[in-house]
Amino acid sequence: MDAKMNRRSFLRAMAVVGGSTVLAACGAQTAATPSATAEAPIAATEAPAPTVAPTVVAEPTKTSTIDITYWGSFSGGLGEAEQAMVDSFNASQSDVKINYQFQGNYEETAQKLTAALQAKQTPEISLLSDVWWFKFYTAGVLQPVKDLMAAAKIDPSDYVDSLINEGTRKGDIHWVPFARSTPLFYYNKDAFAAAGLPDRGPETWAEFAEWAPKLAQLKVMTPVATPDAAATTPVPTVDPETNMMAFAHPNSASYVAWLFQGVIWQHSGKYSDPDFTIRIQEENGVRAGKFYQDSVNAMSKWAYNAKDIGADFINGLTATTMASTGGLAGFEKNAKFNVGTAMLPKADGFGCCTGGAGLAMLAGLPAEKQAAAMKFIAFATSTEGTTTWSQNTGYMPVRKSAIASDAMNTFFTERPNFKTAVDQLALTQPQDSARVFIPGGDQIIGKGLERIMIGNEDVATVWSDVKLTLEETGAPIKEALKAIEG
Amino acid sequence: MLTNNQRINSTLIAAYIIMGIACICIGAPLLWMVFASFKHTDEIYRIPATFWPERPTFENYPAAWNAVPFDRYFLNSVITTCIATTSKLVLATMCAYALVYTKAPKWLKDGVFLLIIAALMVPAQVVIVPNYITMASLQWIDTYQAIVLPNCATAFGTFLLRQYCMNLPYEVIEAAEMDGANHLQRMWLVVVPMAQPALVTVGLFAVVSEWNDFLWPMIVTNTNEMRTLPIGLFRLFQTEGLQNWGVIMAGTVFVVAPVIAVFVRMQKSIVAGIAAGAVRG
Repeated sequence: MDAKMNRRSFLRAMAVVGGSTVLAACGAQTAATPSATAEAPIAATEAPAPTVAPTVVAEPTKTSTIDITYWGSFSGGLGEAEQAMVDSFNASQSDVKINYQFQGNYEETAQKLTAALQAKQTPEISLLSDVWWFKFYTAGVLQPVKDLMAAAKIDPSDYVDSLINEGTRKGDIHWVPFARSTPLFYYNKDAFAAAGLPDRGPETWAEFAEWAPKLAQLKVMTPVATPDAAATTPVPTVDPETNMMAFAHPNSASYVAWLFQGVIWQHSGKYSDPDFTIRIQEENGVRAGKFYQDSVNAMSKWAYNAKDIGADFINGLTATTMASTGGLAGFEKNAKFNVGTAMLPKADGFGCCTGGAGLAMLAGLPAEKQAAAMKFIAFATSTEGTTTWSQNTGYMPVRKSAIASDAMNTFFTERPNFKTAVDQLALTQPQDSARVFIPGGDQIIGKGLERIMIGNEDVATVWSDVKLTLEETGAPIKEALKAIEG
Repeated sequence: MLTNNQRINSTLIAAYIIMGIACICIGAPLLWMVFASFKHTDEIYRIPATFWPERPTFENYPAAWNAVPFDRYFLNSVITTCIATTSKLVLATMCAYALVYTKAPKWLKDGVFLLIIAALMVPAQVVIVPNYITMASLQWIDTYQAIVLPNCATAFGTFLLRQYCMNLPYEVIEAAEMDGANHLQRMWLVVVPMAQPALVTVGLFAVVSEWNDFLWPMIVTNTNEMRTLPIGLFRLFQTEGLQNWGVIMAGTVFVVAPVIAVFVRMQKSIVAGIAAGAVRG
């Protein structure tokens, strides 16, 4: 569809909107990946008055404030924390004004950015999740920021290695870590005490398999009445007839493939190589899959597939689970027992991946906009910025200097569970390309895991199916990558 | 043998049972929503679930109202819903009138009608991207006209009104014509009053679909100044971890309350409208 459209042709277009298959075809075509025009001019983005021309204002701005639009995906408490961060940035200086605009969840933000690129209505900065930023990178629409960081006097080596490395391609940084989380092992301390287990997470999955029968003998625990409730109404027992489960797996909709990423590493396997060679079907991948399968299907099973691992955990239906560090605050607040956290158990070795979202700058901005956008990215991920953000949200501090800071260490003593997560962060690795870089890779692997766990299908067969699907889906992105990285 | 009375009674009882089931199916989730909006988070997550709030709280309502600029969102929803509904009613009425009562050639009228039927078959999602690009090229992103314009006409409403008008007694319109009424007069003074049940039906459908529309306003707006209520509800959801269902339910209550009020007020007309449209007299 042409960018220029006069009133008449517009009305004509509206008139045939009805049964027109032309438009349907147009929709299908435009919904595809953004066309990779690297220098797509980034239009004046923030809500231009209807008459303003789309071109970037060329006249030099002297003392006036530079407006920067920032698209984010956080809602609820996280959205409030995000808005607070933007407000404090805007209050801290007068050169740059950030307009924070909520654009739905990670998926919707990415889809809207795709449409906005087509329409040349993009923001300067966008939050992109681990599974989405790469698509925009391969489309050539993300600004490499290493030089901008140097100009803003930020030392990239102060960022936690596994986090900054994930967004680094061909020696330049395209995706700056911001709201990053990792899987964490959660356990019900009261249940562990009742089962006579030590007050710590299991060292290995084998150790956990020994502990599991003791946990499974417990009845689902009566929640201890909260102080405010105790006075008025006694809280009823949950269900004294039901046995507690030892461990809960999520389903594919809740990103089971993200948690399994660590597990396959623990079994010396991997989803894929960086060059998109799929490795999930290899011996160690099958072994890891078999491990998950047996956890819910073997005679000695110790786990089940929960609809909502969070709800089941805080209700004491399961004694342990693996979940994002981002859920910690909610668990601690709503569980009626003492929540404990531990690093993920080992198999052959340790393995844990990172997740969450980072900030990306859109390519093609004029120099002063780039510097202004960088100023905010620097603020949001500065030592102080990331400290405040992670204390308010439960996301990982992204800077080494923040982890070592006094403010953070005081926080650690108050919140030992959070310290476990940060200690584990040093041992994490960026995820395999098959899950994060192949579009839909997460769900392809996740559905495979459902076939293995719920369908109890042969692991080797499922993984070879998954491998084929991943290869098929990954082919275009491999091509796009070749075009951009050579 | 059953007497006639007994037969009627048993039919009546069966009807009441079916109505009761329908009431529970439709009403229970609404009641659940209202009750949940007065519960604390821990009570909502508790298994087994409680029906009545054990320790009722009113905290969820201010919490929801203050989490998002709902006052502005309310205003935007009212503005966009009113404009789109009015426009839909006017356009659908005029189109239906033209299709039924003008002396345009039959092939033209049939052609237009076919186009309307065809438009019914196109899912809204398909036209979202082209519409977005159109709005962007008009520099209308983040404006009221961008939210409203694609929803200004209704294929379904036009279809419904046309079918309804076909069944109106033509003699009345002929009489008006004899008395010298022109097309506009015939439409506003004769057809519109007679087609009122159908108009109310179309209007209600328009109000509900506009008020609840999430995807299009979400895509085509960026700032709080332009956003509508369903987007506000979405913002109450937590990105990670446990949902604060009490707050979400409280938000949902005050978002759906106006629509329910309008519906209850108009329900008699809507029922009459659907029945009148379906039965050929």
